[in-house]
Amino acid sequence: MKRLLEVRDVSRHFGGNAAVDHVSLDVFDGEAVGLIGSNGAGKTTLFRMIAGELALSGGRIEFDATSLPHRPDQRARLGIARTFQIVQLFGGLSVLDHLLVALQAHEGRQGPMRDVLWKGSSTPEEEQRCLETLRLCGLSDVADAPATALGLGERRAVELARALVVRPRLLLADEPSSGLDAHEAARLARVIALARRETGLAVLLVEHDLHMVEAIAERVIAMDAGRVIAQGTFDAVLHDESVIASWLGRSA
Amino acid sequence: MGVFFGYVLASIPYGCAFSLVAVGLVLTYRATGVFNFAFAAEAYAATVVYSELISHGVQRGWAAAIVVCVIAPVFGALLDFGLFSRIAPGNRTAKTIMALGLTVILPQIVETAVPSNPPVPPAPFFSTSFIPVWRIGGDPVFGSAICEVAGTILVLIGLVLLLRTRRFGLPIRAAVESPKLLELSGVDARWVLRFAWMISTALAAVAGVLYQVGSGATVDPQNYDLLLVVSIAAAALAGLRNLPIAALGGVLLGLAEGLVQGYVPSSSIWYPALVPSLPFLFLLVLLIFHPTLRHLEDTIDPMASIEPPPPVPAVAMRPPIVDRTIRRMRWPFLGVVVFGVILFVPADWTEALTEGAALSIVFLSITLLTGLAGQLSLAQWMFAGIGAFTTAQLAENRHWPILLAALAGALVAGVAGLVAALPALRLRGLPVALLTLCLALLGDDLLFPTSWVSNGTSGVPVPRPSSIFGIDFSSVDSEGFFVLTVVVMIAVAGIVHLLLRGTTGRALTAVHASPIGASSSGVQIRRMTILVFMLSASIAGLGGAFYAMNQQTVSQDSFVYYFGPIYLVVVVTIGATTVEGAITAGMAFALINNALMNVPQSVGGTQLHSTALTVILLSLGAFTYAKHPEGIVEYAKRRLAKTVFRAVEHNDHPLVSAEDSA
Repeated sequence: MKRLLEVRDVSRHFGGNAAVDHVSLDVFDGEAVGLIGSNGAGKTTLFRMIAGELALSGGRIEFDATSLPHRPDQRARLGIARTFQIVQLFGGLSVLDHLLVALQAHEGRQGPMRDVLWKGSSTPEEEQRCLETLRLCGLSDVADAPATALGLGERRAVELARALVVRPRLLLADEPSSGLDAHEAARLARVIALARRETGLAVLLVEHDLHMVEAIAERVIAMDAGRVIAQGTFDAVLHDESVIASWLGRSA
Repeated sequence: MGVFFGYVLASIPYGCAFSLVAVGLVLTYRATGVFNFAFAAEAYAATVVYSELISHGVQRGWAAAIVVCVIAPVFGALLDFGLFSRIAPGNRTAKTIMALGLTVILPQIVETAVPSNPPVPPAPFFSTSFIPVWRIGGDPVFGSAICEVAGTILVLIGLVLLLRTRRFGLPIRAAVESPKLLELSGVDARWVLRFAWMISTALAAVAGVLYQVGSGATVDPQNYDLLLVVSIAAAALAGLRNLPIAALGGVLLGLAEGLVQGYVPSSSIWYPALVPSLPFLFLLVLLIFHPTLRHLEDTIDPMASIEPPPPVPAVAMRPPIVDRTIRRMRWPFLGVVVFGVILFVPADWTEALTEGAALSIVFLSITLLTGLAGQLSLAQWMFAGIGAFTTAQLAENRHWPILLAALAGALVAGVAGLVAALPALRLRGLPVALLTLCLALLGDDLLFPTSWVSNGTSGVPVPRPSSIFGIDFSSVDSEGFFVLTVVVMIAVAGIVHLLLRGTTGRALTAVHASPIGASSSGVQIRRMTILVFMLSASIAGLGGAFYAMNQQTVSQDSFVYYFGPIYLVVVVTIGATTVEGAITAGMAFALINNALMNVPQSVGGTQLHSTALTVILLSLGAFTYAKHPEGIVEYAKRRLAKTVFRAVEHNDHPLVSAEDSA
C-alpha cells in the first residue's frame, strides 16, 4: 500500500511541557488507523498539528510524499477532511448548504466574482453529489433544515457529510462518538465504514470509545504522555503491557 | 529638568482621568462582556449634570459631585435593567451594538436638553480651579489637578478594596466567565452584573467631571473623543483584562500625550499630525500585535450553547405564491414609485429621496461587511468620505467626467478597504470595531482636514452629471439625478443580493459561525476577508460620491467620524442581513430628517436640530436589537409571512409552529 500520511519525529511544546514528544506514525492509502490513549496523552494535539491548526515545534508531516502547506484550508483542498470533538456547524445555513460550502471551496467555485457574474448558484451536479452524500449519512429528510436545530447525533452526521462530500483521501475524525449513545455511535461507525468501502478513504480516528475503534480501525496506535507506546492490531495493542500499565497504572 | 517636570506635572491629572475610564472599560468588559463605547458619553452626560447643578443654585462643587455620584449608579442600574440584561450572554454583537447606540443617542439627548455648551465648571473642592494652590519647584499646582489626582487615587483604592471582598468582588469575577454558571451556584447573577454596571457608570461620572474641570474648556461632547480613545488604548494595553495595568496605562498615556504636546513646537508641521494621532497610532499597534486582543473573541461562555438558535429567515417562511407575486410585481412597483416621484413630489423631497438613495448605497456596504461577514466596521462613513473627496478632486482639479471620477473614487476607497482588511485578518469581533474606529478617527482628524483633500475649510464643489448616454439632465436637474442615483442604488443592491445568496454568502456565513470549521472545509478565509473589505469599502466610496454630488459640495465636515457608529446602529437595527434593510434605513434616515426640518425649531425654549432628532428617533431602534437581532424589517416580514401562512391554513407548517413555540 502507498504511504499517504507520514508523521516523522513531530513534537509540540507548550511552555516547557512536551504535549507531543518525537512522535512518528504512518497512515497508508485506504487504511483506517485508531489513535487511543488517556486524557492528556497528546492525541488531540497531534491531530490538530496534522490538520494545520497548530504549528509544529519540531519534526515534519508529509501527505502523499510532499510537505503539507501551513493553513487548514490548503490542507483541506489537498484532500484532508476533518470532524471535530466539539461539533463545528455553521449557524444560519441549512444542512445542504453545509455540504455546498465545502464542495464549492474544494473545487475552487467560490468567490464574489462568480456571484457577481451570475455563477453563484449551485449546479445540478453539485446538488446531486450533496444529496448522494446526505443519503449515505442518513440525512436526506433534513436536507433543508437549519443544521444547528438538529439533535447532536444528526449534527455529528452533518459534520461527517460535510467532510465526505469532497471525497477526501484522508478523514481526520476527532472523537466522533463524543456525546452520542451506543446506537448513534454505531450508526456513525457504519457510515464511515460504508464511505471507506465506496471511496477507498483513509481514516485517522481519535477515539475513547473502544467499540467504535474496533469497528472502524484496522490498526491502532496507543499514546501516553506525548509518545507512541504501542501499535498493531486492536487486540494486540489492548493486551500490550505498556498500554495496560498506562491505563490501569499496573502491569498485566 | 524644570521644563520636563512642568510637563509631567501638567500631564498627570489628564492621565488620571484616562486611568479611571480605562479601569471602567476593563471592569465593565470583564464583568458584563460589554465593551462600553458609551463610557465617554456617560462621562459627558454626568459632567453636564454637574455643571447644570452648579449653574442652577448648588453653590458647592462637592455637593454637586455627591449628587452626580448618586445619580450615576442609578443610571447604570437602569441601563442594565432596561437594555443590557435583556441580551443573551453569548451575543457579543448585540452588546456592542447596544453600547454604540447609547454612545450615539446619549450626547444627542443631552445636547437637545441643554443646547448651549455649559460653562467651565469649578473643581469639586476648590472654588477657583485655575489659581495655583501650591508650587513644586516653581511649577504651579492647580486645585483642579489636586482634585483629579486625589480623586483618582481614592476611587482606585476603593475599587480595589471592593473587588477583594468575598461578597461583591468574588461574584463579579465569577460572572466574567459565565453568568449562567454563576446562577447554577446559587448566586443571582442579574444583581452581580447590575452592580458592575453601577460601579462602572459611577467611574465614568467621576472621570468625566475630573477630566472636564482639569481641561478648563466648556463642556462639549467632542472633547470626550480624546478621553475615549486614550482610555481604549490604555484598556487595550491591559489586554482588556488587567485593572492595575489599565490604570497605569492611562497615566502613562496621559504623560506621553503631554510630553509630545510640550516638546513638539506648535509651529512644526508635525504638531497637527502627530499630537492628535498619537493615541490612535498607539491603539492601532496594540490591536495588531497584542496577543491577548487577537484572541479576545476565543473565550466562549461554556453555557452559551444553551441559548436558542436564531429565528428562521422570513424568506424561508414565505409561501411560494408570495414569492411569485413579489418577483412579478417588483419592477412595475419600482417604476410606479420612480415616476410618481418625478411627476408629483416637490423638489425638496426629491432631494431628500436622492440623499436616501445615496445613503442606501453606503448602507449596502454595511450589509455586506456586517450583515454577511459579521465584522463590525465603524469606518464605512470614512470610506464614503474617501470616495467623495477623490471624486470631487478628480472632477474639479483634473476635469474628469463626474461619473468616471465617481468610479475612481470607489476604487480608491476599495484600496483604503485593503488597508483596513490586512490588520483585520488577525482580528475578529470587538478588536475589528476598535480598529475601524481608529481608522475613522484618523480619517476625520488627519486625512480630511488636509488642504489637498478638502481645500481646507472651504470644501470642494462637486458637479452633478449633466447628461448620460445622451439623456440630458440639465433641464430636469433634481429628478434626473434622482433617477440616476436610484439606478445605481438598484445595481449595487443587485450585486449585494447576488453575494448574499451566492457562494460568498454561504462561505462568509460559515466563517462567521465557525472560522475553524470553515477553514477545515477549504474556505479561504484570508482571501474572502480581503475581498469583502475591499468590495464593501468600494461600495461605500461610490455611495459617498453620489452623496457628495447630491450635496454639490464636500467639505471636511461632510464625513464626520461619529456618523460611522450612528449609521452602523441604524442599519443593524433596521436590518443588516438583507438589501431591503439597507434601503429602508437609507430612505428612512433621509426622509425623517427632511420631515423634521419642517417641525418648529424651538419648543419651550429648547432648540431642536433635525439631524439630532433623526438620530435619536432611529437609534432608539437599537433598543429593539436585543429582542430582534435580525432587524426590524426582517422581523416584520417574518410576522407577515406567518400571518399569510395562517390565512392559507398552513398552521401545521414546521416553521410556523417553530415560531410559535419560540
